[in-house]
Amino acid sequence: MLARAIPGCEGLEQTGPDEYRMKMKMALASLSGAFEGKVKITDSNPPSSFRLLVEGSSKIGFVKGEGLLTLTASGENTDISYEGDAQIGGTMAAIGQRLIDGTSKMMIKKFFEKLTAESAS
Amino acid sequence: MATTIIQTEKLVGKRIRRREDPRLITGTATYVDDIQMPGMHHAAIVRSPHAAAKIRSINIKAAAEAPGVVAVFTGKDTEKVGPVPCGASLPGLRVPHHYILAIDRVYLVGHPVAVVVATDRYLARDAADLVEVEWEVLPAVADPEKAIAPGAPPVHPQWPDNVAFVYHQEGGDVDKAFAEAEVVVKQRITSQRLIPSAMETRGVLAEWRGADRQMTLYTSTQIPHLVRTLVSGMLGLEENRMRVIAPEVGGGFGSKLNVYSEEALMGFVSMKIGKPVKWIESRRENFLCTIHGRGHVDYFEVAAKKDGTILGIKLKLIQDQGAYHQLLGPAIPTLSVLMMPGLYRTKNVRAEIVGVFTNCTPTDAYRGAGRPEATHGIERMVDILADELKMDPAEIRLKNFVHNEEFPFPTATGLTYDSGDYAAPLQKAMGIVDYKKLLAEQAEARKQGKLMGIGICTYGEICGFGPSPATPAGGWECGTVRVEPSGKVTVLTGSCHHGQGEETTFAQIAADELGVDIDDILVLRGDTAIVPYGIGTFGSRATAIGGTALYFALQDLKVKIKKFGAVLLGSPDVSFANGQVTCNKMGKSVSFKEVAAASYRAMKLPPNTEPGLVSTHFWEPPNFTFGFGAHIAVTEIDPETGQITVRRYLAVDDCGNIINPLLVDGQVHGGVAQGMGQALWEQGVYDDNGQLITGEYTDYAMPRAHMMPWIQSEHTITPSPVNPLGVKGVGEAGTIGASPSLVNSVVDALSHLGVRHIDMPMTPEKIWKLVAGGKN
Repeated sequence: MLARAIPGCEGLEQTGPDEYRMKMKMALASLSGAFEGKVKITDSNPPSSFRLLVEGSSKIGFVKGEGLLTLTASGENTDISYEGDAQIGGTMAAIGQRLIDGTSKMMIKKFFEKLTAESAS
Repeated sequence: MATTIIQTEKLVGKRIRRREDPRLITGTATYVDDIQMPGMHHAAIVRSPHAAAKIRSINIKAAAEAPGVVAVFTGKDTEKVGPVPCGASLPGLRVPHHYILAIDRVYLVGHPVAVVVATDRYLARDAADLVEVEWEVLPAVADPEKAIAPGAPPVHPQWPDNVAFVYHQEGGDVDKAFAEAEVVVKQRITSQRLIPSAMETRGVLAEWRGADRQMTLYTSTQIPHLVRTLVSGMLGLEENRMRVIAPEVGGGFGSKLNVYSEEALMGFVSMKIGKPVKWIESRRENFLCTIHGRGHVDYFEVAAKKDGTILGIKLKLIQDQGAYHQLLGPAIPTLSVLMMPGLYRTKNVRAEIVGVFTNCTPTDAYRGAGRPEATHGIERMVDILADELKMDPAEIRLKNFVHNEEFPFPTATGLTYDSGDYAAPLQKAMGIVDYKKLLAEQAEARKQGKLMGIGICTYGEICGFGPSPATPAGGWECGTVRVEPSGKVTVLTGSCHHGQGEETTFAQIAADELGVDIDDILVLRGDTAIVPYGIGTFGSRATAIGGTALYFALQDLKVKIKKFGAVLLGSPDVSFANGQVTCNKMGKSVSFKEVAAASYRAMKLPPNTEPGLVSTHFWEPPNFTFGFGAHIAVTEIDPETGQITVRRYLAVDDCGNIINPLLVDGQVHGGVAQGMGQALWEQGVYDDNGQLITGEYTDYAMPRAHMMPWIQSEHTITPSPVNPLGVKGVGEAGTIGASPSLVNSVVDALSHLGVRHIDMPMTPEKIWKLVAGGKN
């Protein structure tokens, strides 16, 4: 389900408890690259929160980030909130800085939309 | 004997169009990348995406097996190549060993870690992506003030405080000056990182001919001879077996006054593969891997009397050196200190420089190299002092200038200002803009709620670098004049111009001295095999030193021409003028062309005279030259958007005698454009992790032609006593004068809102916030 929800995800493979190897395609303006990286879940506190650590690199640079996802019940629905930090480097940082914010917001939005759709089906 | 050449009109002082321009503007000039060689290979460099990291492993297998790839080298292969040199020497300077390819650790984004060599440029580039490096990412620091704060990650683990050097300079009695002061003003002033952005990026082509044991290295540089001396040393090759050629060089602004790892690396690769190999820097590489300029945080204090007399200046200068020292990096802020009193009489100065390592691109000479930063500082401080004392900025300057009768004036920082009339350009500028009328207009505009500013900068400049004891590699220059048997004249100069126009100005000088047509003269430079030696073009030195070396070579030659003329005319009583050796008594003359032919034919030699007409002169300057001037900028600000409009820009520069006013105008325009770029738009920005986030022109705001105002260039002329041409230098003057006059102008426009200082660049956002909400 996660693999289908992550935009551009081309493969997610479990490598350990709460650890995955991920392949994804990402585009940032004129740059695009195939990223390979790791996803790790820590501070798991079901059912209310967990921390997601993501690390990936490609020809166009690297991404490293972590986010705390908090799930709270709100009537029949579950509200998911997130906060986190991301670092980017390499060509992506040098030429795409202004686009990062917009692109990451768009990807997060897509992720939650997909997740919602997947959970509903 | 016929009179074949008549020329009485002098060319020096005339607006002659540049002879180099046709090939430049038609795209037919030959840059490094235009050179093709049989069997030539291409290199692509694998660089670090991290600002600080250990290299756990490098896997080159996939890259080495990629189509077209002939070799891949890493730091292990190049470990024995000598380090990228730092030519600056300061007491206690810490110099990290700068390998041409990283060994086990990288210190900045863009740090080279491997080179991939292929038969084709694009195959090399593709294969470079296949080099796998396993990194252990380390914390980085990108801000010099954060780097010297406790707990900052060390850039070089052996020096955990990140201090590259501390340098003190003091003159007079600063403590007494501050104790006696009636007023003290203080300000933190930054001069942000700038990215030099020459139109042509760097490029290197190395051709090793093993059978001859000789190498030819084509490189886009301002200093071919120094590159030969230093790069041959790095490669362990005898200096005379390396020939360095700087073909057409598309601008440098100081960024090519350097020796870079890629120059030695291409030499290394060519020796390994036995083929010519070329590397052309991409624009993205240029942002990261060619030196940056400025990078100052200055803490100024000025002590004064209530009447505006400056008593003393204190400066703490924090210089962001970047991760390494390039050729002159640590020396650049010492030039700021030399220049810190500006044109003012005060003898009491104290400066402390802290050079700081950061995980960023090294800083080094960029147009003005230390002097724009110094001038920006002192000229801002004088305006701040004027504001404090409610004095007119012009009046306070006139009050503090070195007086004309005080020359030669020894400065508090150890220089000797040899000559000048510092009030003259300011008074001329005030007259041209009608300063009083402008003040009245500004008062009226304020009543109507309009924001208008008048900014003055008066500057002094150290030009003509410089007497050898004051430079790291010798400060002289070499000029050769070779008259060919046909009478054509070839000038060889150690000045390695790269856009300054010496093919025209040096030809003007030679044409006047020899009385020949300018089209008979060819000026060659940039080839170590044909120019005896040279220091190069930087520091506003080419005309003052290279031009003077040429002048003296011409004087020697003229003596010899007269000797040959005398033999041809059969009389020792001859003179040489307008291309003719003449014996007035006999009423006969012989042409320059005939003399040239006779000197090589050598049927009859004058006593103690060798055949041929060749003369070389190495000229050592006894002092720097000291240009000065006054710039006035009139600005208007749109309070709704924070947009600054430069309504008028006037530069009155005193660069001594002028060889070609057209070229001087061009230098001033270009210089002002770069100073204006710093004042209004440009800024190299790193994030906290040492990633350069202004790595392309979408994010780095280079000025465009349409953003430039009309720039009026005027002059006063005080000939330099240091050289017989009376010239000083003007290549950097515009940059030095522009940023303070513009910032002073914008601060003046906002002064009634309580604004006293604005750090550059003065972006609309910054200005809008000040207009909307108060102080900086």
